[in-house]
Amino acid sequence: MSRALAERLGHGRHWWRGATPGLRLARHTLGLVALAVLLMPFADLAIHTRDPWAELGRMALGLAWPAWGSLESPLTAIGLTVAVALWGTLAGVVLGIPLALLFARSRLVRAGCAFVRAIHELFWALLFLQVFGLSALTALAALAIPYAGIFAKVYAEILEQVPRAPGDALPPGSGRLSRFFYVELPLAWTQLVGYTRYRFECGLRASVLLGFVGLPTLGFHLETAFREGRYHEAGALLWLFYLLIAALPWWSHRRLIPLLLVGGAWLLGPWPEVDGALLWRFVSQDIWPAALLAGDAAGLAAWFADIPELAPAIGNTLLLGLLGTVGALAVALVLWPLACRHFGNPVTRLAGSGLLIVLRSTPELMLAFLFLLLLGPSLLPAWLALALHNGALIAFLVARHADALSPGMPGLPASGRYAYELLPRLYPGLLALLYYRAEVILRETAILGMLGVATLGFYIEGSFEYLMFDVAFFLLLVTAGLNIAVDALSRRLRPREGALLDDPCAR
Amino acid sequence: MESEQCGLPAGEALVSLVHEDLGHADHVVLPGLSLSLYPGERVALLGQSGAGKSTLLAALRARLGREAAWCPQHHGLVPQLAVYHNVYMGRLPERSALANLWNLVRPLRGPWQEVGELCALLGLAGLERRPVAHLSGGQRQRVAIGRALYQGRPVFLGDEPVASVDPHQAWRLLDLIDARHATAVVALHQRELALSRFDRVWGLRDGRLVLDAPAADLSLADLDTLYPDASPNTAHAEPDPPSTPGPEILPCSRGRP
Repeated sequence: MSRALAERLGHGRHWWRGATPGLRLARHTLGLVALAVLLMPFADLAIHTRDPWAELGRMALGLAWPAWGSLESPLTAIGLTVAVALWGTLAGVVLGIPLALLFARSRLVRAGCAFVRAIHELFWALLFLQVFGLSALTALAALAIPYAGIFAKVYAEILEQVPRAPGDALPPGSGRLSRFFYVELPLAWTQLVGYTRYRFECGLRASVLLGFVGLPTLGFHLETAFREGRYHEAGALLWLFYLLIAALPWWSHRRLIPLLLVGGAWLLGPWPEVDGALLWRFVSQDIWPAALLAGDAAGLAAWFADIPELAPAIGNTLLLGLLGTVGALAVALVLWPLACRHFGNPVTRLAGSGLLIVLRSTPELMLAFLFLLLLGPSLLPAWLALALHNGALIAFLVARHADALSPGMPGLPASGRYAYELLPRLYPGLLALLYYRAEVILRETAILGMLGVATLGFYIEGSFEYLMFDVAFFLLLVTAGLNIAVDALSRRLRPREGALLDDPCAR
Repeated sequence: MESEQCGLPAGEALVSLVHEDLGHADHVVLPGLSLSLYPGERVALLGQSGAGKSTLLAALRARLGREAAWCPQHHGLVPQLAVYHNVYMGRLPERSALANLWNLVRPLRGPWQEVGELCALLGLAGLERRPVAHLSGGQRQRVAIGRALYQGRPVFLGDEPVASVDPHQAWRLLDLIDARHATAVVALHQRELALSRFDRVWGLRDGRLVLDAPAADLSLADLDTLYPDASPNTAHAEPDPPSTPGPEILPCSRGRP
């Protein structure tokens, strides 16, 4: 082939030029990967433990032979986990619905919701821990407040997509509330319930995680068992958790929910006595720098200068977020065929789906905690956890979407089906999902600091520990600001073609 | 438009449009439109799909406000709610939000009775509690008309309210609409109905009002000019237009005792 012809066909040195959607997405992806590779030397990815493989073996052994007998009151822990998730989600719904109705109209409501959403459940728990102590009130508030912001946004988006005609048909003068209950609510009901169910599942995972800050849910027992090296007991607890998630469709049946709510309310007690004066002092004084309250500018500058390592913490948070996002992309690209009907046989598909479901249901913090025990405190365990959890989540959704496609050309080898038939159709959606997930990944990045990784969360937990509430609150504000900024950025970078997989449950 | 002056009903116009541009936000569908709607008039609105019928009806609805009962195209019902609740929505502004809410839980006695009577007239008796999603197309159409009737307004505005029912049903539904409204503007596709059941015909074509005349002065051929896409050959190939009797032979419901 002559050189001129080769160049005309776009082959040769400048193959990446061109404006087709495929090339645009390829350039986009390569840019993201290049940025991650370029910044990788700044990340601390060292392995600090001496023999991670032996430790992994002991953990696997624990999971294979769980010690059911050694569990102390597992039913109470499970009951409390469910009760917190259920009541926390319910409170979020009750707070979220009125906010959803105001969402489109009020900039203040939108900003407030973005703020409460941007702070992770565990950070809210740390904050409320200072006022309400280790009580159900802390747990419920930690779930209800960020969820109210999330529900407000997602509900508002769902209600916006309701068909216009029935609302237009109403006689003039119908009140806002009547319109909501007669038109919008019934039309959006299925979607609203679907999203609420998904959020409840998230609440269940968050409720387990609340154990990591000391609330006696399943996570508390898990953390203790793992930390003390009682892997057989930890294995049993982990199995319990997976069973709880797997059996969710049965025990969260519509008719059982009232029963669970009543039973859960009974488990949540005893309720703490809330000292109004103490609460007010915390909100009005403790969380603000003294210099700010006194109006002392020089003192404030000194206070700000004293905050430990703000820039490296922000840098680490962003770096881990970027690495986690790129890692999740790689994991998703490798794993999605495992659970897809176009590849393998029924046995491999079952195993693949099982793997994806396990990785997807295990909270990042728990995965990171396991890797931390294996590899020691660096960015590496956090990175692995973020990439595996989010990658598996995306892979699962992509596989479900691929199942609905039918290849135009039968009889291609697997690699051909992957690269020529399916991936070109799925990739825009996959990338769009990844960008939705980027904000979640950054939120998780911050809390992974609680395990000793030097992100913002590490300093937030430290400040709470030393009762420096003003610093902790300031760092929380920084975290929230960072999240909002990354959310806006990923919204801008997100490919527009990928509406295929636009599922509120992925956000 | 030359016929605008003849056959003017007495009284002041309910709505008068004089050289108005109608349309959505920045897209004018009906430029420079002039027409008047008088009390007691029953107007058939004809024209191809996309000719601007819905735009004109929306403009009339906006000007008539609370005077007009509204039956939208494609029904605009809430499929998840029962027939009773969909019909009740016609009077949503008349009760407080709290009463409306309670009515969702347990139907209020007065409205339940009124809607029940209306459903019996519409051939929907016994279906009051059934979700609209479980009804046939024709039944949904009748629910949409029921909701408009339940509003109890003097003027009826309907955007193809008898599009998905058989001719006998259409006849009966128009009877019901006539019995409860002195004035009506109804968008239609059935030209025979337009001539036999209405006082006046408005014809839209390419965004202009090309026909505004008493129905008595018009023939089916006059109406054919509104549909340029239907070639005369195919129109004659159809069995009904030439073989159906002219409007003068069709039973005239207007003269009912």
